[in-house]
Amino acid sequence: MRRERDNPPLQHRTFLSAMSQAGTLPAIPSPAPAASGRIPGSKAMWVGIFCEVTEFALMFAVYFVARAHHPEIFRNGPAQLSLLAGTGYTLMLLTSGWCVARALHAMRASRQRACLQWMMGAFVFGLGYPVIKLFEVRWNLAHGLNGDAGVFIVTYYYLSFNHLIHVFWGLLGMIWVMLRTGTGSYSAEEHSGLESFAVYWHTTDIIWLMIFPLFYVLR
Amino acid sequence: MNETRKLDLAWLSLVLLSVGGAALGGQPDAGFMITVLVALVMGIKVRIVCDRFLELPTATRRIRQLMYAFCYGMPILVILTSAFGDALARLTAKLII
Repeated sequence: MRRERDNPPLQHRTFLSAMSQAGTLPAIPSPAPAASGRIPGSKAMWVGIFCEVTEFALMFAVYFVARAHHPEIFRNGPAQLSLLAGTGYTLMLLTSGWCVARALHAMRASRQRACLQWMMGAFVFGLGYPVIKLFEVRWNLAHGLNGDAGVFIVTYYYLSFNHLIHVFWGLLGMIWVMLRTGTGSYSAEEHSGLESFAVYWHTTDIIWLMIFPLFYVLR
Repeated sequence: MNETRKLDLAWLSLVLLSVGGAALGGQPDAGFMITVLVALVMGIKVRIVCDRFLELPTATRRIRQLMYAFCYGMPILVILTSAFGDALARLTAKLII
Protein backbone atom coordinates (compact mmCIF):
# COMPACT_ATOMS: atom_id res chain seq x y z
CA MET A 1 0.00 0.00 0.00
CA ARG A 2 2.76 2.34 1.02
CA ARG A 3 4.69 1.50 -2.13
CA GLU A 4 1.62 2.31 -4.26
CA ARG A 5 1.14 5.61 -2.44
CA ASP A 6 4.79 6.59 -3.00
CA ASN A 7 4.84 5.40 -6.59
CA PRO A 8 1.25 5.37 -7.92
CA PRO A 9 0.31 3.59 -11.18
CA LEU A 10 0.63 5.59 -14.41
CA GLN A 11 -3.10 6.39 -14.83
CA HIS A 12 -3.27 7.66 -11.23
CA ARG A 13 -0.17 9.78 -11.79
CA THR A 14 -1.70 11.29 -14.94
CA PHE A 15 -4.86 12.12 -13.04
CA LEU A 16 -2.90 13.53 -10.10
CA SER A 17 -0.73 15.57 -12.46
CA ALA A 18 -3.82 17.02 -14.11
CA MET A 19 -5.24 17.89 -10.68
CA SER A 20 -1.99 19.51 -9.57
CA GLN A 21 -1.80 21.51 -12.81
CA ALA A 22 -5.36 22.69 -12.19
CA GLY A 23 -4.13 24.03 -8.87
CA THR A 24 -6.18 21.72 -6.68
CA LEU A 25 -3.21 19.66 -5.44
CA PRO A 26 0.37 20.52 -4.62
CA ALA A 27 2.88 19.90 -7.41
CA ILE A 28 4.01 16.26 -7.82
CA PRO A 29 7.74 15.81 -8.24
CA SER A 30 8.62 13.83 -11.35
CA PRO A 31 10.51 10.51 -10.83
CA ALA A 32 14.29 10.76 -10.62
CA PRO A 33 15.78 10.20 -14.11
CA ALA A 34 18.53 7.91 -12.79
CA ALA A 35 15.94 5.35 -11.69
CA SER A 36 14.39 5.00 -15.13
CA GLY A 37 16.85 5.45 -18.03
CA ARG A 38 16.60 3.92 -21.46
CA ILE A 39 17.96 0.86 -23.23
CA PRO A 40 20.54 2.06 -25.77
CA GLY A 41 19.94 0.08 -28.98
CA SER A 42 17.75 -2.95 -28.41
CA LYS A 43 17.16 -5.35 -25.54
CA ALA A 44 18.22 -8.32 -27.71
CA MET A 45 21.59 -6.69 -28.38
CA TRP A 46 22.19 -6.24 -24.66
CA VAL A 47 21.46 -9.94 -24.07
CA GLY A 48 24.16 -10.68 -26.65
CA ILE A 49 26.53 -8.18 -25.09
CA PHE A 50 26.18 -9.66 -21.62
CA CYS A 51 26.85 -13.12 -23.11
CA GLU A 52 30.00 -11.69 -24.72
CA VAL A 53 31.05 -9.99 -21.48
CA THR A 54 30.52 -13.25 -19.54
CA GLU A 55 32.58 -15.18 -22.10
CA PHE A 56 35.48 -12.74 -21.82
CA ALA A 57 35.16 -12.53 -18.02
CA LEU A 58 35.74 -16.31 -17.90
CA MET A 59 38.75 -16.02 -20.19
CA PHE A 60 40.16 -13.19 -18.07
CA ALA A 61 39.71 -15.44 -15.02
CA VAL A 62 41.82 -18.08 -16.78
CA TYR A 63 44.43 -15.38 -17.48
CA PHE A 64 44.59 -14.32 -13.81
CA VAL A 65 44.88 -17.91 -12.57
CA ALA A 66 47.60 -18.66 -15.13
CA ARG A 67 49.41 -15.45 -14.16
CA ALA A 68 49.26 -16.35 -10.48
CA HIS A 69 50.78 -19.76 -11.18
CA HIS A 70 53.45 -18.58 -13.63
CA PRO A 71 54.36 -15.03 -12.54
CA GLU A 72 57.82 -15.10 -14.13
CA ILE A 73 56.53 -16.23 -17.54
CA PHE A 74 53.80 -13.57 -17.52
CA ARG A 75 56.25 -10.89 -16.37
CA ASN A 76 58.57 -11.63 -19.29
CA GLY A 77 55.78 -12.40 -21.78
CA PRO A 78 54.89 -8.89 -23.02
CA ALA A 79 58.53 -8.28 -24.04
CA GLN A 80 58.09 -11.00 -26.68
CA LEU A 81 55.10 -9.25 -28.30
CA SER A 82 55.22 -6.11 -30.41
CA LEU A 83 54.12 -3.12 -28.30
CA LEU A 84 53.84 -1.13 -31.53
CA ALA A 85 51.27 -3.59 -32.91
CA GLY A 86 49.33 -3.52 -29.62
CA THR A 87 49.24 0.28 -29.61
CA GLY A 88 48.24 0.21 -33.29
CA TYR A 89 45.22 -2.04 -32.57
CA THR A 90 44.18 0.24 -29.73
CA LEU A 91 44.36 3.41 -31.83
CA MET A 92 42.50 1.78 -34.74
CA LEU A 93 39.67 0.52 -32.55
CA LEU A 94 39.36 3.75 -30.56
CA THR A 95 39.26 5.85 -33.72
CA SER A 96 36.74 3.50 -35.29
CA GLY A 97 34.58 3.72 -32.14
CA TRP A 98 34.81 7.51 -32.20
CA CYS A 99 33.65 7.52 -35.86
CA VAL A 100 30.67 5.30 -34.94
CA ALA A 101 29.74 7.68 -32.10
CA ARG A 102 29.95 10.64 -34.51
CA ALA A 103 27.82 8.73 -37.04
CA LEU A 104 25.15 8.20 -34.39
CA HIS A 105 25.16 11.89 -33.52
CA ALA A 106 24.90 12.79 -37.22
CA MET A 107 21.88 10.50 -37.62
CA ARG A 108 20.20 12.07 -34.58
CA ALA A 109 20.67 15.44 -36.28
CA SER A 110 19.06 14.05 -39.49
CA ARG A 111 22.37 14.28 -41.37
CA GLN A 112 22.20 10.92 -43.18
CA ARG A 113 25.03 11.70 -45.59
CA ALA A 114 27.39 12.69 -42.78
CA CYS A 115 26.34 9.57 -40.89
CA LEU A 116 27.30 7.38 -43.85
CA GLN A 117 30.65 9.14 -44.18
CA TRP A 118 31.44 8.63 -40.50
CA MET A 119 30.44 4.96 -40.81
CA MET A 120 32.80 4.54 -43.75
CA GLY A 121 35.58 6.07 -41.65
CA ALA A 122 34.70 3.64 -38.86
CA PHE A 123 34.90 0.73 -41.31
CA VAL A 124 38.31 1.77 -42.66
CA PHE A 125 39.79 2.11 -39.15
CA GLY A 126 38.04 -1.07 -38.01
CA LEU A 127 39.57 -2.92 -40.93
CA GLY A 128 42.98 -1.74 -39.73
CA TYR A 129 42.66 -4.17 -36.81
CA PRO A 130 42.69 -7.47 -38.82
CA VAL A 131 45.31 -6.03 -41.17
CA ILE A 132 47.68 -5.33 -38.24
CA LYS A 133 46.78 -8.74 -36.82
CA LEU A 134 47.88 -10.40 -40.06
CA PHE A 135 51.28 -8.71 -39.92
CA GLU A 136 51.66 -9.36 -36.21
CA VAL A 137 50.89 -13.07 -36.47
CA ARG A 138 53.40 -13.43 -39.32
CA TRP A 139 55.98 -11.58 -37.21
CA ASN A 140 55.16 -13.75 -34.18
CA LEU A 141 55.51 -16.99 -36.13
CA ALA A 142 58.80 -15.79 -37.63
CA HIS A 143 60.03 -15.31 -34.05
CA GLY A 144 58.89 -18.77 -32.95
CA LEU A 145 55.82 -17.56 -31.05
CA ASN A 146 53.50 -20.40 -32.03
CA GLY A 147 51.14 -22.62 -30.03
CA ASP A 148 54.08 -24.36 -28.34
CA ALA A 149 55.67 -21.15 -27.07
CA GLY A 150 54.36 -21.46 -23.52
CA VAL A 151 51.37 -20.59 -21.37
CA PHE A 152 51.60 -16.82 -21.91
CA ILE A 153 51.51 -17.02 -25.70
CA VAL A 154 48.75 -19.67 -25.68
CA THR A 155 46.61 -17.49 -23.38
CA TYR A 156 47.36 -14.51 -25.59
CA TYR A 157 46.33 -16.30 -28.79
CA TYR A 158 43.21 -17.71 -27.16
CA LEU A 159 41.99 -14.30 -25.93
CA SER A 160 43.10 -12.18 -28.86
CA PHE A 161 41.73 -14.53 -31.54
CA ASN A 162 38.42 -14.67 -29.70
CA HIS A 163 38.43 -10.88 -29.75
CA LEU A 164 39.33 -10.91 -33.44
CA ILE A 165 36.24 -13.06 -34.14
CA HIS A 166 34.09 -10.46 -32.37
CA VAL A 167 35.72 -7.71 -34.44
CA PHE A 168 34.84 -9.67 -37.60
CA TRP A 169 31.21 -9.89 -36.49
CA GLY A 170 31.33 -6.16 -35.89
CA LEU A 171 32.76 -5.44 -39.34
CA LEU A 172 30.03 -7.55 -40.95
CA GLY A 173 27.45 -5.68 -38.88
CA MET A 174 29.04 -2.42 -39.97
CA ILE A 175 28.58 -3.32 -43.66
CA TRP A 176 24.92 -4.06 -42.97
CA VAL A 177 24.40 -0.80 -41.08
CA MET A 178 26.14 1.17 -43.88
CA LEU A 179 23.83 -0.43 -46.46
CA ARG A 180 20.79 0.45 -44.35
CA THR A 181 22.06 4.01 -43.85
CA GLY A 182 22.76 4.36 -47.59
CA THR A 183 19.27 3.21 -48.52
CA GLY A 184 17.69 5.67 -46.08
CA SER A 185 16.30 3.01 -43.75
CA TYR A 186 17.25 5.00 -40.64
CA SER A 187 15.92 8.37 -39.59
CA ALA A 188 16.48 10.76 -36.70
CA GLU A 189 13.42 9.23 -35.02
CA GLU A 190 14.08 5.53 -35.72
CA HIS A 191 17.68 4.30 -35.86
CA SER A 192 17.68 1.57 -33.23
CA GLY A 193 19.61 -0.76 -35.59
CA LEU A 194 22.43 1.74 -35.89
CA GLU A 195 22.43 2.31 -32.14
CA SER A 196 22.47 -1.43 -31.43
CA PHE A 197 25.49 -1.82 -33.66
CA ALA A 198 27.21 1.13 -31.95
CA VAL A 199 26.66 -0.49 -28.55
CA TYR A 200 28.20 -3.74 -29.77
CA TRP A 201 31.20 -2.02 -31.31
CA HIS A 202 31.94 0.05 -28.21
CA THR A 203 31.74 -3.07 -26.02
CA THR A 204 34.27 -4.74 -28.33
CA ASP A 205 36.44 -1.63 -27.82
CA ILE A 206 36.13 -1.92 -24.04
CA ILE A 207 37.24 -5.56 -24.10
CA TRP A 208 40.29 -4.66 -26.17
CA LEU A 209 41.16 -1.85 -23.74
CA MET A 210 41.42 -4.61 -21.11
CA ILE A 211 43.36 -7.09 -23.24
CA PHE A 212 45.94 -4.52 -24.36
CA PRO A 213 47.56 -3.73 -20.97
CA LEU A 214 47.38 -7.37 -19.82
CA PHE A 215 49.41 -8.72 -22.74
CA TYR A 216 51.42 -5.81 -24.09
CA VAL A 217 52.04 -3.44 -21.19
CA LEU A 218 52.31 -5.19 -17.80
CA ARG A 219 55.91 -6.37 -17.61
CA MET B 1 30.60 22.64 -25.12
CA ASN B 2 28.39 20.76 -27.58
CA GLU B 3 28.05 16.98 -27.71
CA THR B 4 30.22 16.38 -30.77
CA ARG B 5 33.02 18.48 -29.25
CA LYS B 6 32.80 16.33 -26.11
CA LEU B 7 33.12 13.21 -28.27
CA ASP B 8 36.20 14.61 -30.00
CA LEU B 9 37.74 15.46 -26.65
CA ALA B 10 36.96 11.96 -25.33
CA TRP B 11 38.66 10.39 -28.36
CA LEU B 12 41.72 12.62 -27.96
CA SER B 13 41.94 11.74 -24.26
CA LEU B 14 41.71 8.03 -25.08
CA VAL B 15 44.48 8.28 -27.67
CA LEU B 16 46.77 10.18 -25.28
CA LEU B 17 46.04 7.77 -22.43
CA SER B 18 46.73 4.77 -24.68
CA VAL B 19 50.05 6.10 -25.88
CA GLY B 20 50.98 7.25 -22.37
CA GLY B 21 49.93 3.90 -20.88
CA ALA B 22 52.00 2.00 -23.44
CA ALA B 23 55.06 4.13 -22.63
CA LEU B 24 54.42 3.61 -18.93
CA GLY B 25 54.42 -0.16 -19.07
CA GLY B 26 57.11 -0.40 -21.72
CA GLN B 27 59.77 -0.01 -19.06
CA PRO B 28 61.43 -3.25 -17.97
CA ASP B 29 61.01 -4.43 -14.36
CA ALA B 30 57.87 -2.43 -13.73
CA GLY B 31 57.10 -2.41 -10.02
CA PHE B 32 53.82 -2.64 -8.16
CA MET B 33 53.18 1.10 -8.47
CA ILE B 34 53.44 0.85 -12.25
CA THR B 35 50.88 -1.99 -12.15
CA VAL B 36 48.55 0.26 -10.13
CA LEU B 37 49.07 3.10 -12.63
CA VAL B 38 48.42 0.81 -15.62
CA ALA B 39 45.23 -0.46 -13.94
CA LEU B 40 44.19 3.13 -13.23
CA VAL B 41 44.73 4.15 -16.86
CA MET B 42 42.72 1.08 -17.94
CA GLY B 43 39.87 2.08 -15.61
CA ILE B 44 39.84 5.70 -16.82
CA LYS B 45 39.84 4.71 -20.49
CA VAL B 46 37.06 2.19 -20.03
CA ARG B 47 35.03 4.76 -18.07
CA ILE B 48 35.42 7.34 -20.86
CA VAL B 49 34.20 4.81 -23.46
CA CYS B 50 31.28 3.82 -21.21
CA ASP B 51 30.18 7.38 -20.52
CA ARG B 52 30.87 9.15 -23.83
CA PHE B 53 30.58 6.48 -26.54
CA LEU B 54 28.29 3.90 -24.93
CA GLU B 55 26.17 6.63 -23.26
CA LEU B 56 25.75 4.54 -20.11
CA PRO B 57 24.71 7.48 -17.87
CA THR B 58 21.37 7.56 -19.74
CA ALA B 59 20.93 3.77 -19.71
CA THR B 60 18.75 1.79 -17.33
CA ARG B 61 20.15 1.16 -13.88
CA ARG B 62 20.67 -2.58 -14.41
CA ILE B 63 22.64 -2.18 -17.64
CA ARG B 64 24.69 0.60 -16.08
CA GLN B 65 25.50 -1.36 -12.93
CA LEU B 66 26.43 -4.58 -14.76
CA MET B 67 28.69 -2.78 -17.21
CA TYR B 68 30.38 -0.72 -14.52
CA ALA B 69 30.90 -3.86 -12.42
CA PHE B 70 32.71 -5.49 -15.34
CA CYS B 71 34.66 -2.36 -16.22
CA TYR B 72 35.84 -1.62 -12.68
CA GLY B 73 36.24 -5.29 -11.75
CA MET B 74 39.02 -5.81 -14.26
CA PRO B 75 41.44 -3.09 -13.07
CA ILE B 76 40.79 -4.15 -9.47
CA LEU B 77 41.59 -7.77 -10.37
CA VAL B 78 44.82 -6.65 -12.07
CA ILE B 79 45.94 -4.98 -8.82
CA LEU B 80 44.77 -7.86 -6.61
CA THR B 81 46.48 -10.49 -8.76
CA SER B 82 49.66 -8.49 -8.67
CA ALA B 83 49.51 -7.99 -4.90
CA PHE B 84 48.17 -11.40 -3.84
CA GLY B 85 49.28 -13.68 -6.69
CA ASP B 86 50.63 -16.31 -4.28
CA ALA B 87 47.34 -16.55 -2.41
CA LEU B 88 45.43 -16.91 -5.68
CA ALA B 89 47.87 -19.62 -6.80
CA ARG B 90 47.29 -21.55 -3.54
CA LEU B 91 43.50 -21.16 -3.82
CA THR B 92 43.45 -22.42 -7.40
CA ALA B 93 46.17 -25.06 -7.07
CA LYS B 94 43.68 -27.89 -7.56
CA LEU B 95 42.51 -26.39 -10.87
CA ILE B 96 45.92 -26.85 -12.47
CA ILE B 97 46.51 -30.33 -13.81
